[in-house]
Amino acid sequence: MRILVIEDDSEAAAHVSKGLREAGHVVDHAMDGEVGLNMADVGDYDAYVIDRMLPKLDGVSMLSRRRADGDETPALFLSALGEVDDRVKGFKAGGDDYLVKPYAFPELLARVEALGRRRVAPANVTTRYAVGDLEIDVITRTVRRAGRKIDLQPREFRLLEYLMRHAAQVVTRTMLLENVWEYHFDPQTNVIDVHISRLRSKIDKDFDKPLLKTIRGAGYTIDDAD
Amino acid sequence: MLRLLRTTTFSFTIIYVFVFAIAVALLGLLFYQNTFGVMSKQTDAIIDQEMVVLSEVFSTEGAGVLRRVIRERAAWRDDGLYMLIGAPSGAVLSGNLSALPPEALSAGEGFFNFTFERPRLNAAGREVGIETREARGKIRRFKPTPDAETSFLVFVARDISTREALRERSQALMTRIGAATIGLGILMGLVFSRALLRRVDSVNRTARAIRDGDMSKRIALTGAGDELESLALNLNAMLDQIERLMSGMREVSDNIAHDLRSPLNRIRGRLTEALKGGVDERDEALRATLADAENMIMTFNALLSIARIESGEGAGSMEAVDLVAIAQEMVELYEPAAQDAGFVLQLKTAPAPPVRGSRSLISQALANLLDNALKYAVGGTTIRIDVRKGSDGRVLLSVLDDGPGVPAAERDSVLKRFVRLEQSRSTPGSGLGLSLVSAIARAHRGAIALGDSQANAERPGLKVTIAFPAFDKA
Repeated sequence: MRILVIEDDSEAAAHVSKGLREAGHVVDHAMDGEVGLNMADVGDYDAYVIDRMLPKLDGVSMLSRRRADGDETPALFLSALGEVDDRVKGFKAGGDDYLVKPYAFPELLARVEALGRRRVAPANVTTRYAVGDLEIDVITRTVRRAGRKIDLQPREFRLLEYLMRHAAQVVTRTMLLENVWEYHFDPQTNVIDVHISRLRSKIDKDFDKPLLKTIRGAGYTIDDAD
Repeated sequence: MLRLLRTTTFSFTIIYVFVFAIAVALLGLLFYQNTFGVMSKQTDAIIDQEMVVLSEVFSTEGAGVLRRVIRERAAWRDDGLYMLIGAPSGAVLSGNLSALPPEALSAGEGFFNFTFERPRLNAAGREVGIETREARGKIRRFKPTPDAETSFLVFVARDISTREALRERSQALMTRIGAATIGLGILMGLVFSRALLRRVDSVNRTARAIRDGDMSKRIALTGAGDELESLALNLNAMLDQIERLMSGMREVSDNIAHDLRSPLNRIRGRLTEALKGGVDERDEALRATLADAENMIMTFNALLSIARIESGEGAGSMEAVDLVAIAQEMVELYEPAAQDAGFVLQLKTAPAPPVRGSRSLISQALANLLDNALKYAVGGTTIRIDVRKGSDGRVLLSVLDDGPGVPAAERDSVLKRFVRLEQSRSTPGSGLGLSLVSAIARAHRGAIALGDSQANAERPGLKVTIAFPAFDKA
């Protein structure tokens, strides 16, 4: 993916750029909102990572201008602020995701990659997902593995659906909490882990090859790779 | 003095006095016209009547009879009516004035005022000097025959000295009343302003003292029970709140210093050791440091959330929410984790009206309470969420556990930031969970209460209840 990082804190920017490059992405960096606006205009990016507080032109205004010009590149806001109000402002300006500083890098990486994927395959078109011999149908809400039907609770289905939509990508606990349960806070108890292990017991337990994997220090992923 | 003149009260008083003075002036003018105006018209009417009678006499009886009539009428000197008939030359033929007033010869047909002098008589009718009288009259010329070239002069006048004197006195009186009105008004304005200024000054003095650093100062109450008193009461309440927040802040910064210094020291020590050690030791140190950093970030996030909730942010996103639905969702989220930890998570609800609140904040409060129960209800078996209606329309949301509970003496302190009971120091956590819950309760104008969950002296359990106010009162 080609990613444009617009961040005025050069140390933070270097850290983010390095991490994204190590994950195999091409990263450009802009120091302020105006430079970011110009670079976004010229370069053909797959995702923007935008700090909200920027010199010259703040992140929200910058993205609003890009959106007004018809640019639909997915964008993730970074912010030291954070509560619901700020998130709402970010989404109104056309942001696709929101991450509060300080954050763990794997969280940022997982979210940026999820954004890039969204662009390639708009979620509302596909109604069936398959990973290995695991298949789900979003319309009939059925799950099959190796042709065998698996019964899931509604929430378990949503959890699986989200993981399948982001197959082969790392999905963090916070992403699951936000997208499956719509909560924007982190419980101190490992509630998500337990839900995952229940789901795992239903889709992986009776089969040879585990598909739902734990990525240590980051989150989970569902994929067919060995 | 200059400050008094600049007060609002004084300006208002001046405006009031001005309006009042205009009203008094209008009243005076009305009074004047209805008395002296009418009297003046009456005088003129009497003179006109006399003149009509005299001209009647002249035209029917002739000048001779007219002279006689005038002489007889003029004899009654004291009814204040003067009349005389004069020859064309101006010489007085008969009448009760010694001479025609000089103004009479130049005057036309209209009324005119004049003065004349006459002997002053005492009660016995003897002359005791000269007095000047003021009178008003009119003159007419009668031709003896239609083609005569000269004419007799008939002059009728009425004494207006008394009336004029009265009028002058009235005018003087009215001027004095006017002056007194304005003077008294200004005086009252100054008095009111001074009274108000003194009370406002007391507020200002308090504000200055507080600005100078004496946060304990409060506005002195007069006990008057008026609007200034209620203003003072409100300001004092506000100052109490600020003082409480400030002391809270001080406490928090002390606590931050204390609670964050230990992990930082730990990190420094560990890194110092790791520098001397090998690769394995370094890896281990880095991992432990990462865990510490994550804990510190969690602490900061919790503090930030509390600060934002307490500053009233998010109050705009309050809407009608159903506590039962929120509790159900939360049970669904926590049920597996509770089961893993060996608890049964129950939900007990009674039909309850919606409350005004934020789903996100209430869920967070509930999550914190459940986290606490899972962490601290050691040896317990059941955690229950309870939603029901309380008194006066309040809705109560409780989380109950059957763990060791919190001793009554420590219940207040666990709501404070960073306070963790000694036995829990070893378990992870920021000590901010309950203060976040408490801040969320306050943001909903609700109250938080801690109590025992069961009547068992050995294991009282803990019951945390948030009471949300009735929807319309929120």
